[in-house]
Amino acid sequence: MADYTLELAHLYGDLMNTYGDYGNIIALRYYAKQIGVDVDDRLVSLNEDFNPKAYDFVLFGGGQDYEETIVANDLKAKADGLKEYIENDGPLLAVCGGFQLLGHYMEMADGTKVDGIGVMDHYTTNMTDDQVKTLNGSRLTGNIVIKNNETGEEYHGFENHQGRTFLGKGEKALGTVTTGQGNNGMDKTEGVIYHNVYGSYFHGPIFTRNGNLAKRVLATALSRKYPDINWQAKLNQVPTETF
Amino acid sequence: MSVKSQLAKFTAKSSHFLLRNILKRGGTSLPGKLAVKIDPEVLQTIEKEFDLVIVTGTNGKTLTTALITRVLRAGGYTVVTNPSGSNMVQGIVGTLLTTKVKPSPNGKKPVAVLEVDEANVLSLAKAIEPKYFVLTNLFRDQLDRYGEIYSTYDKIIAGINQAPNATVITNADSPIFARGSYSNQRIYYGFDNVKEADFKDLKAPTNTDGILSPTDNSVLHYDFITYANLGRYFSTTDGFKRPKLDYAVTALNELTPKSSAFDLDGTSYKIAIGGLYNIYNALAAYAVGRTFDVSPADIKKAFEEDKQVFGRQESLNVDSKDVTILLIKNPVGTNSVIDMMETEKDPFTLITLLNANYADGIDTSWIWDAEFERLHDSRLASLSTGGERYKDITVRLKMAGFDLDGTYQKTEDILKAIDQAPTKKIYLAATYTAMLQIRAVLKNHGYIQEEY
Repeated sequence: MADYTLELAHLYGDLMNTYGDYGNIIALRYYAKQIGVDVDDRLVSLNEDFNPKAYDFVLFGGGQDYEETIVANDLKAKADGLKEYIENDGPLLAVCGGFQLLGHYMEMADGTKVDGIGVMDHYTTNMTDDQVKTLNGSRLTGNIVIKNNETGEEYHGFENHQGRTFLGKGEKALGTVTTGQGNNGMDKTEGVIYHNVYGSYFHGPIFTRNGNLAKRVLATALSRKYPDINWQAKLNQVPTETF
Repeated sequence: MSVKSQLAKFTAKSSHFLLRNILKRGGTSLPGKLAVKIDPEVLQTIEKEFDLVIVTGTNGKTLTTALITRVLRAGGYTVVTNPSGSNMVQGIVGTLLTTKVKPSPNGKKPVAVLEVDEANVLSLAKAIEPKYFVLTNLFRDQLDRYGEIYSTYDKIIAGINQAPNATVITNADSPIFARGSYSNQRIYYGFDNVKEADFKDLKAPTNTDGILSPTDNSVLHYDFITYANLGRYFSTTDGFKRPKLDYAVTALNELTPKSSAFDLDGTSYKIAIGGLYNIYNALAAYAVGRTFDVSPADIKKAFEEDKQVFGRQESLNVDSKDVTILLIKNPVGTNSVIDMMETEKDPFTLITLLNANYADGIDTSWIWDAEFERLHDSRLASLSTGGERYKDITVRLKMAGFDLDGTYQKTEDILKAIDQAPTKKIYLAATYTAMLQIRAVLKNHGYIQEEY
């Protein structure tokens, strides 16, 4: 039993798990273990409350359209809790569908519009929308590399999405696209950073392939819970995995 | 048969003969193409000659098709099948048109047992009316992760709707197969090997899909789970539950990596292959056999006599090392391979090879959905990695908490890994193109004779 524990909520982990998203938890746990921290992950799914004070990290993965519709409906009941968590700088990783549903809305390939919970200001059209000037009608698929403009870090991943996301007020991109397409194939943005929310279309999963990001987010989560310890310094001693 | 159909059939047969005997090609799709071109209705003439059984689903199609074929033959039927893995419509037509049909020894109509990709069920059912559909399972495949299992299932249903008189022989343990509106008669097979006293209230593991109730989209619970989302499921919000089984696994007797002994409806059977998923394949073949009135004794003969049918999981002797090659391609398939390794009684070495070419799936994320962590509970003695994406698989296994004994970037070097393995027993788990590469190396060194 370690002295320090991170409580992790895996939002709809039984329904939104299509892109190896669980790997992000494996990666967090891998780095946490090396600095004496336990990661306790709990599934928060349909008809269950999300208590914003109970968690130090939240993972919200991507899913199939069918499941995403069911989740979108249930998510409304968790919207207030998630807003409170996010506005209080709670760290959260949202991938693909999870990223989309935190925004205003998303459109499926067949044109069905699904409401997000609007706790963040982005929105997602489908690939055939008039706004889509690049690769209209095509999925954005392939290897992708982006650069985080503030830290200079480079992140590697694989993207495969039809939805086109456009960032809103107060939202920064997770990075600028070096190779690949990113949020919408047009504005060179990939993903989002808002408070301590990190959103992305990256499969990989992103924390497994990019130890630099995993460690930074882990340090953020730990410093928020245990502010008297220099977690970054501890994590600097741990080798970073990248591929 | 019309003159046109006869001509079409003749063209298919002669082009097949030309391809195979003169040009020395396999030639399964061209004859069909030519025949359909001459007479698009040629397929319907096939209906008169065969009862058609279509086998479809994500995993296990090939072995299930092979087992059904053997079971029906053991029961005295003449059976035509598509063994070359050519399961596109034209390939199938080629197979049916170029096979000489003898009357069944048992006096009944000959049977065509065909493995068909989910996406091709509709076009085939439109062309030839099937008598039976056999559904194995539906899991997401990393090849088309955006190809949703629900839309895949819709395609199968569209095919079933095309043939309202056909009987659907279906895996009752898979909740998705309880969906769909079609009025066809259904025959259910599944597992009933757990006593009621041992029932638990379970949910499928987090990383499983297809777990929503078709009645109200609530998350299903299970009395027991066999693997992934398969088991005796029930809803906690209404009366929805797994249907009553017509054919069942009633006991699991002995499971080893190379054999499985089990009871079907109280009779003992054995197959020369490991893995729970293969018992489902045998169960499906049994259900088809019983539906065709094949006796349990004949089914037993079909399962136990010639072991060649299980050839895909192949074992090789490499300088006195016992090497088993296993194909891995998606999370459920890989978990099944891990299940099988957990039944290994001797210490073993695992070499995992990952490629990400088109035939493997170009996105390697799926390796994170496979539960490699469970190998900590097995007799795994040594672990190494390789393949073109050796970095991905190396980090995956490192993060699963394993110390690796080696990483081999060149396929040629895998021979060294085999040579240096500390155990006699070695498993080589590889994605499709990685498997072709290692097979080529093993063939060059004379450890394998035949083509894959």
